[in-house]
Amino acid sequence: MFKLYIMLFTEFSKIGLFAIGGGYAVLPFLYYLQSEYNWFSTDELTNMIAVSNITPGPIGINAATYTGYTTAGIAGALIATLSIVLIPFILTVLITKLFDKFENNKTMCAIFTGLRPAACALLSSIAIKLFYRAIFTDFKSLTEFQIDISSLILFIILILPFSFIKKNPLITILAGAIGGIIIKSF
Amino acid sequence: MNKSLFEIYKIFLIIGAQLLGGGYVIVPLLKKYLVEERKWISENELIDYFAMSQCIPGIIAGNIAICTGYKIRGITGAIAAISGIITSPFICIILLANILNEITEIEIIKNAFWGIRISVTVLIIITIKDIWKSSVNSVFTYILYLIILTALIFLPISPAIIIISAALIALIYGKVRSKNV
Repeated sequence: MFKLYIMLFTEFSKIGLFAIGGGYAVLPFLYYLQSEYNWFSTDELTNMIAVSNITPGPIGINAATYTGYTTAGIAGALIATLSIVLIPFILTVLITKLFDKFENNKTMCAIFTGLRPAACALLSSIAIKLFYRAIFTDFKSLTEFQIDISSLILFIILILPFSFIKKNPLITILAGAIGGIIIKSF
Repeated sequence: MNKSLFEIYKIFLIIGAQLLGGGYVIVPLLKKYLVEERKWISENELIDYFAMSQCIPGIIAGNIAICTGYKIRGITGAIAAISGIITSPFICIILLANILNEITEIEIIKNAFWGIRISVTVLIIITIKDIWKSSVNSVFTYILYLIILTALIFLPISPAIIIISAALIALIYGKVRSKNV
C-alpha cells in the first residue's frame, strides 16, 4: 500500500510539473498512465473525461482524485490530488513573489503591456475553438460543414441578454443547462 | 488587507463548486467575486495572473487561485485558496466514482452539459469584452493581439511560449520607445 502511495505521489507530481497550459494538457499524461499502470482502463479514462465535464473542477484535479480513489481509497485520492498541485503551488508562489517585488518597476510595466493583450488573445482563441466545436459539426473543409442550428440558437439566446445585463456566471451556466435540456428534448 | 483565512477558503470553495465545463470559467468567477464584489484584487491584476498562470506548470485554475490567494494574504492565503478550489471537485468525484460509468449515459445530464458548453463559450466572450479596454488599448497592443491570436489559431504552439514571447516583445518595444523619447 505504501508503495502505491509513493507511486501516486510521483506520477501526479510529474503531471503537475509537466502539464503546461493546463486543462487538456493533462490528457496525454493520463493516457500514458493508462498504458503504464493498470490503474484504469481506456474506457474508464474516457468516462472520466466525460465526468470531468459534468462535475465542478479542472479535469486534472478530477482525474487525480478519481485515479487515487479507485486505486487506493480516500487516502490515495488525497495524495494524488495534493501531488498534482504541489509543484505548481511552489512555483506559483515564488513567481508571484518576484512579480510583486518589481510591480512598479519600469521593465515590469513594459512586460505587462505585452502580457495583457496576450491573455486577451488566449481567451479569444479558447472562445473561438469552443464556438467552432459547438456550432460547426462534421467540419471537413472550409466549404463542407454543417451548422448545428440548435447550438447556434442556444448561443444567441445566451449571449444576447447576458452581454448587457449585470451577469452572474452561475446564472449563465444554469441557463445553458436548462436550455440544453429543453432544446434537445424537441 | 486583512482577510481571514476562513473567508478566503469560503470564497474559493464557492468558486470551486461553480467550475463547470472546465477551468477557464474561473476567470469570470474571480472577476465577479474578487474584483467586483470584494475588490480584493484589481481587474488588471486578474489579467496578469491569468497570463502568468499559463506559463507556470500545473492546472491553470489552480495556479490562478494560488496567485490570487497569495496576493490577498501571503502564503497562508495561497494555501486557503487552493484548498477551497479543490474541495468541491474532490468531494464530487469521491461520491461519483462508483457510479461513474452509469452517469455519463443519462440523457438529461448529457443534454444539460451540452448546453453548459455553450454557456462557457458565452462567459469567455463576455470576459474578453470586459477586459478588452484595459488590455488592448494602443496600436502596439492591437497588433500584438492580432498576431498572437492568429498564431494561436493556426499554429500548434504552447500557450506558455506565446506568453513568454509576448513579454519579450513588449520588453524590447518598451526599451526602444524609451530610448527614442
